[in-house]
Amino acid sequence: MRMVATPDFSRRRFLFGSAAAAALLAAPGCAYMTPKPNPAATKPVEPKIDGDLVYFNWADYVDPTVFDGFQNEYGVKVIQSNFDSMESMQAKLAAGNRYDIIFPSAQWVQKLVAANQLRVIDPSTLKNAPLIFDHYPYFADPWYDQSSAHSIPFSMYKTGIAWRKDKLGETLTGSWSDLWNETSKGRTFVLDDRDEVLGMLSLLLGYELNTAATEELDVIIGKFRNLRPYLRGFSSDDYNNLLAGDAWMHQTWSGDMAALLWQAPDPSIYGFEAPKQGTPVNSDAYAIPVNAQHPGTALLFIDYMLRPENVEKNINYIGYPMPVHGTEATYDEIVADYPECTVTVEDLSRNLYFTNDSVAKTQARDAAYTEMKVGV
Amino acid sequence: MTTTTTAFPEAPPEARPERPARRERLWTWMLVPGTVWMSLFFVSALLLLIALSFGTTDALGNPRFGSTLDNIVGIFNPTYARVILRSLVYAVAASAICLLIAYPVAYAIARHGGRYKNALVALLVVPFFANYLVRMYGWQTLLSDESVVMTWLRGMGVPASFHILDTSGAVIGGLVYGYVVFMILPIYASLERMDGSLIEAGRDLYGTSLRTFFAVTVPASRSGAYAGLALVFLPAMGDFISAQLLGGPDNLMIGNLVQDKFFAGQNWPLGAALTMALMVLLLICMFAYLRQTARDAKEANR
Repeated sequence: MRMVATPDFSRRRFLFGSAAAAALLAAPGCAYMTPKPNPAATKPVEPKIDGDLVYFNWADYVDPTVFDGFQNEYGVKVIQSNFDSMESMQAKLAAGNRYDIIFPSAQWVQKLVAANQLRVIDPSTLKNAPLIFDHYPYFADPWYDQSSAHSIPFSMYKTGIAWRKDKLGETLTGSWSDLWNETSKGRTFVLDDRDEVLGMLSLLLGYELNTAATEELDVIIGKFRNLRPYLRGFSSDDYNNLLAGDAWMHQTWSGDMAALLWQAPDPSIYGFEAPKQGTPVNSDAYAIPVNAQHPGTALLFIDYMLRPENVEKNINYIGYPMPVHGTEATYDEIVADYPECTVTVEDLSRNLYFTNDSVAKTQARDAAYTEMKVGV
Repeated sequence: MTTTTTAFPEAPPEARPERPARRERLWTWMLVPGTVWMSLFFVSALLLLIALSFGTTDALGNPRFGSTLDNIVGIFNPTYARVILRSLVYAVAASAICLLIAYPVAYAIARHGGRYKNALVALLVVPFFANYLVRMYGWQTLLSDESVVMTWLRGMGVPASFHILDTSGAVIGGLVYGYVVFMILPIYASLERMDGSLIEAGRDLYGTSLRTFFAVTVPASRSGAYAGLALVFLPAMGDFISAQLLGGPDNLMIGNLVQDKFFAGQNWPLGAALTMALMVLLLICMFAYLRQTARDAKEANR
């Protein structure tokens, strides 16, 4: 009986509550509505300080003393945050986070440029840009960014095979088919990367590197089925697997060989080869998102990073070659024992790189990779 | 509302007219933080997931709302069915092993722990202060081929071709290690609560210790074990870290595929559809658990 007075009140509150809840629930979904048109490409800015630098990169990709030098010289702070994959970088950008400088791979520069997400950079405003563009003509007009209008190259790497010389011998045959090695059976790894695994098999079968043709993908799946019994796993932790002794042979990114070399008690037991069918070549770049708040500082930072002494510090810190004239010897010295790690101008001009395809093609490749990963 | 009415059955309404309403309002307001939290972080995420499973992907890999059934159709692929079945086997095995390990541990602490009971429970929980991921990396280092453990095993005559890392055994072991504490605690709680004199009564009635155990102790701890099984099985079924760090190419679980779709695959809609499928499966298991506990409760009340 006592409840008689309350229903009206409750109903009103219920209605109010549900409306509020519905509004609340709808809010996070807005990010996935059809996007609004992007702002037009921006005018290039001058490299001069316009605030602290908000920096977004892989962890440990720049020597900390290089940051210190920048902070001291220009009196600004570097506010760092890190991503752990290109996809998560994109997710953070799409969520509206604002960074002054990011380090996308070539493939992602292309995607971001197509989506109008990168600011125009005029290389003529950078004092050290000629060290790149006068000596590496490839980067003057790379496939991923017409005339390098939105990006400045940062580092380069290629994919090959690393192996244990003490277990498998001093040399292999220099082919991707080396992965089918009887002695290494059960201790061979491929990278856990769709493009790298499909690319490796395409090169071996003589297909176009980025093929998405159904019948070719079927052959690739079949070819992989016969590699599977040799495999211990899919892993992108290449140098740790080699260091721990779990891998005797590993599809490996050349850049990780320096880490292996620095951490192994006896680096001479490892080898690296770049198979003759070709090795996918990739590069990372500096880029400035359109919504950057301090593009001037970012540009100044790029120029500072390109000073040969800083490039040398970074090469010695992360072990990746960088296309800056005068620093080549620094890298060659690190990988003196693995000469095939070096990424040369000829490597770049072979045009073996992972491109962006239509969503349908990417999903076809992804489905093939899932099938290969799961096995029978 | 019912509580308020039953709490003051004698109070005439006109004596304290505003009291029930005010009390009721207080209780309602106390629901607010929990409701907001759950709707913000759980219900809205779930609704978003349902909506996205009908969506598409743009060129940057961003998910877009849509009304396609492709993703739902896409999950009826024998590849996924195989992986779901494998995950089920792993999760069931891990739950069973957890039960076998947890029961004696919980029993020993609850019945024979004496004044060290709480200290022992604390000791069990301490390793779980470290993040699950970190503990799995620890196992990876411990079990790798040239690790201390493996070198020692080889020294004892285990053949060189034998390895633990990258096998289904390692994945199930990782799941057991990761979730066993969720089995121990509820069983411990139910055994702790049990009246010890019941066991004495069983013995007084000339029951053997084994018979007393099955007739008295097991029924008393059954609800704890069911809760433990649910707490281990549900997260184990969706786990991907154990398979990623300790498993080989043939040990992928459904969680790994979902993770692949969301990250490297950049196909959130398909990942969302897969997640829905997994949740439907887990809901069925959850209903089985709820029915069983309800039946037990009814039996206990009789």
